[in-house]
Amino acid sequence: MPTLKIDGIEITVEPGTRIIEACDRLGIDIPRFCYHPGLSVAANCRMCLVESNRSPKPVPSCYEMAVDGLEIQTKTQKVIDARRAVLEYILLNHPIDCPICDKAGECDLQDLYFAHNYQPSRHAFAKFHKPKARQIGPQIMADSERCINCTRCIRVCDEIAKAPQLHQVNRGGRTYIDVFPGTEIDHPYSMCVSDVCPVGALTTKDFRFKCRVWFTNGTQSVCGECSRGCSIRIDTYRNEIQRIMPRENPTVNQFWACDAGRLAYHNYETDRLQSAKANGQPVASDAAITQLATALDSVASGARVLVVLSPSMTNEAAWAAIKVGQKLKGMVRYAIGGREAGFKDDILICADKAPNRAGLALVLKTLGVEAVPLSAALAGSPQAIYIFGDDHHLEDVLVKAMDGAQLSVVFSAKDGPLANAASFAFPTMSPYEIDGTWLNEFGILQRVRPALTPTWDARPIEKWLGALTTRLLDEQIADDPAELFVTAMSSVNALDGTPLAASGLDGIGPFGIALK
Amino acid sequence: MDWMFMLIALLKVLVVLVVFVLMLGAVLTWVERRMSALIQDRLGPNRAQIGNVRAWGLLHPIADMFKAFTKEDFVPAGANRMLFFLAPAIALASTLACFAVIPFGPGEHFTIAPLDSGMLFIIAIGSFGIYGVALGGWASNNNFGLLGALRGAAQLVSYEVTMGLNLVGVFAVFGTMSLSQLVLGQGELLWGWLPKWGVVVQPVGFVLFLIASMAENKRAPFDLPEGESEIIGYFAEFSAMRFATFFLTEFVEIVLIAAIAATVFFGGWQIPWLDPQGVAGGFITVAQIGFFVFKIIALCWLQMLIRWTLPRFRYDQLMNLGWKVLLPLSLANIVVTAIVLALS
Amino acid sequence: MAKLVDRPKADLVIRSYIPEVLRGLRVTSRHFWVNFLTRKNVVTIEYPEEKYPYPPRFRGQHRLMKREDDSVRCVACFLCATACPADCITIKAGERSDKNEKYPVSFEIDYIRCIFCGMCEEACPCDAIRLDSGDHKLPGYTREEEVLQKEDLLAKGGLSIAKQGGILQ
Ligand code: SF4
Ligand code: SF4
Ligand code: SF4
Ligand code: FES
Repeated sequence: MPTLKIDGIEITVEPGTRIIEACDRLGIDIPRFCYHPGLSVAANCRMCLVESNRSPKPVPSCYEMAVDGLEIQTKTQKVIDARRAVLEYILLNHPIDCPICDKAGECDLQDLYFAHNYQPSRHAFAKFHKPKARQIGPQIMADSERCINCTRCIRVCDEIAKAPQLHQVNRGGRTYIDVFPGTEIDHPYSMCVSDVCPVGALTTKDFRFKCRVWFTNGTQSVCGECSRGCSIRIDTYRNEIQRIMPRENPTVNQFWACDAGRLAYHNYETDRLQSAKANGQPVASDAAITQLATALDSVASGARVLVVLSPSMTNEAAWAAIKVGQKLKGMVRYAIGGREAGFKDDILICADKAPNRAGLALVLKTLGVEAVPLSAALAGSPQAIYIFGDDHHLEDVLVKAMDGAQLSVVFSAKDGPLANAASFAFPTMSPYEIDGTWLNEFGILQRVRPALTPTWDARPIEKWLGALTTRLLDEQIADDPAELFVTAMSSVNALDGTPLAASGLDGIGPFGIALK
Repeated sequence: MDWMFMLIALLKVLVVLVVFVLMLGAVLTWVERRMSALIQDRLGPNRAQIGNVRAWGLLHPIADMFKAFTKEDFVPAGANRMLFFLAPAIALASTLACFAVIPFGPGEHFTIAPLDSGMLFIIAIGSFGIYGVALGGWASNNNFGLLGALRGAAQLVSYEVTMGLNLVGVFAVFGTMSLSQLVLGQGELLWGWLPKWGVVVQPVGFVLFLIASMAENKRAPFDLPEGESEIIGYFAEFSAMRFATFFLTEFVEIVLIAAIAATVFFGGWQIPWLDPQGVAGGFITVAQIGFFVFKIIALCWLQMLIRWTLPRFRYDQLMNLGWKVLLPLSLANIVVTAIVLALS
Repeated sequence: MAKLVDRPKADLVIRSYIPEVLRGLRVTSRHFWVNFLTRKNVVTIEYPEEKYPYPPRFRGQHRLMKREDDSVRCVACFLCATACPADCITIKAGERSDKNEKYPVSFEIDYIRCIFCGMCEEACPCDAIRLDSGDHKLPGYTREEEVLQKEDLLAKGGLSIAKQGGILQ
């Protein structure tokens, strides 16, 4: 275990640790552009120079290993001068078009300029001009003048997405990043290149000119597009999602997220179910609940009842749904709907396109309920159908079954055939509006947080059920996610009694589906 | 003949009260604003216009009237409704009633009700105005209103004494309580050339009367019952036409004070050295009436000037002035007058 | 140290207030008559007909400046909206076809909120927004009238002498 001294402080680190990582551990700030903890080291920006007792010249701390007896100085005049000089070089041909740059506000170059250079340019000649505002892929815009040639983007494509689609062209001051002639950057993780780009050279088409980053509010949540459940940050402004950024989570997705997950929020921007509906006609929420309570009474006690659960529901909503299902009149069966399996790779994307199938299975098992496959359940021509969620495959079959049923109830965030065919439809929250937990395929339990507040009377599933049971049953079920979490998850050994708030940012787990 | 008498009396009331007093009162509300503006090097309100006619802003009183009539008439919760309704009416009516005995010209025809003891009538009826203040403040169920009413009651009672006592001197000199006799008496000449006006024989009396009557009118520098800057006063809760009535009363009172002062101290309708018995008739009578009106207007102007010159008193100063300065002075004035009269 | 104020003992004449009151009356009546007859000292400006010349740094209604080709100079950087303490600037950015890339598709200023502080002008990196039109924002009868659009703001605009993307001399 090498022991080294940084600014006089001794630290012992594992072999193979870079100096910059040791500094990070000590909380010593080292400016950097090309170093990224998730990528290989390129050491080409030279922003991280520090003084070492083993070298007459400053060394790049992101590249040099920590070895025994090393003494590093990070605050000497030499280091300060080096940083200043490096920044001046980097900025030589920079267009300084921050006013129109989407990165402004979260740009490393801006921040480091103010911290380490802060002088007017001494470059008295015309600047080099390079291609600007080029679309180099379905999601990516390139502005080569802003590029500082750190090659992080190239390394993301090569090492993370395993799709070497970017490279550098030209030499010296004219170097810039480009795709190969006739191709574009279109791998499933292409938007990650804009995340790692320390400047505004690579930006996303989706976020282009949409909002300034300093206006956004970030909500730490989880992506619901596949069963990995990548940690994401939902950036909102004025109650609208502006973009979705991956959030660092070493146990789930490291630093990355796929394009599909980051663009999925568009699905819930339109066609939202904005009020309760009875037989396709909008009705007031309270009236709908009262009518439903009456309708439920009229279901014969021997009737065939089907409850279709969605693997996109939170554990808490699933718990509440099954609890209410157990109180329903008739012969109640449960089926699991949700999206069909799809594309998978061995990077992040999983075949299962639902975020909480594992959690739903756990809740079912805990409550001692068996689920049948959806197609089999529908074959039994149920007389009453309850459908939770809005992203079920076999939608047309469901609609047909609902037509045949005496009573059909849908809890859906989206307006569409399901909501219109139902006797009663209730508007629920989109995945960006719910509060609760999801358990991913690998047994990590993560907290989903609401980033938006619908302006209409949409409620989480558990709230609708809570309102319904107050009307219907003598007993009221809990309708608060925090309360539900404790009950729903109490069956997991390690979680007994753990409050929801303890689920943290990285999630807890991994859990197998081991019950008490 | 009775109905004839009634008709003529009614006509007189109409001409004097409605045409002259109320109009003058209304115009004074505008005069006050324009005059204060000019004193303060401003222009004042001059923009009310009908079509292209602006008439120097003379239309403002009309606009004000429309405004007052159309505003919400607000009665606070817990107010004594009847007294709340009555208060402004009492205030205005008692003020207007005083004009009944003012002789506007020579002879009986130019007085609405020629009483032998006209001055007593004025003092008696004028004191009624205090009810408007006290009842208005009390009935509105507002602490500030009540404070204003209390201040008002104390102030009016204090200064009424002085005001009455200062008229006594004049009565003593002329030996009559009838206002028309008083005016005739002022037609005489002193030493053959000086008109024997009240202000000549009772100069101290006039000054004290003016001060006391301005205090009676509750206008600056004696506007404590109103006290806009701290309590808003007895009409704090009054709005719309009710407030306008209180407001108008103030201006009618200005006219009243001017009329009494003109009658008692400035020879009423007398034009010096011209037809002191008022028997000439014709053009001269018209001139005499006109001169009386002129005197009233001049005295109104004087009151306004004083109001826009002097700052307000503190309450203790007000009481000190009333009881410790004005009252002894007016008593002394009466004593001196009596002695002089007894000696001559 | 406390300052001692010289308070001469008032004699009877002063305490009777009569000379001072008369003096006051003389001052007020002089002002009255002078202004009544000649208007000499009246300082009133009869606003809509007469106007006071505003000082050159008067901050009035905003205007958006133009480029040589008459297009809007603003690049929709939102710095004005960020600096605005009243949060009254609403911009929607869009893509332009020429090299300037970004421009405001819509640019609204809500004059009900604006406090004419000039922070937006101060913040603008492009000399695109100014408050030097020399005009008031005239009052209106509806809220909508109080929100001026890009077109209204451009109507008062002119060329800026500032050079964009200039190099250091
Ligand atoms: S585009 Fe961005 S990430 Fe790629 S080399 Fe340039 S600065 Fe680095
Ligand atoms: S003047 Fe001030 S308040 Fe008005 S838009 Fe500009 S920054 Fe906002
Ligand atoms: S600061 Fe200037 S360039 Fe930026 S949005 Fe405002 S007006 Fe436009
Ligand atoms: S961060 Fe070390 S050289 Fe770029």
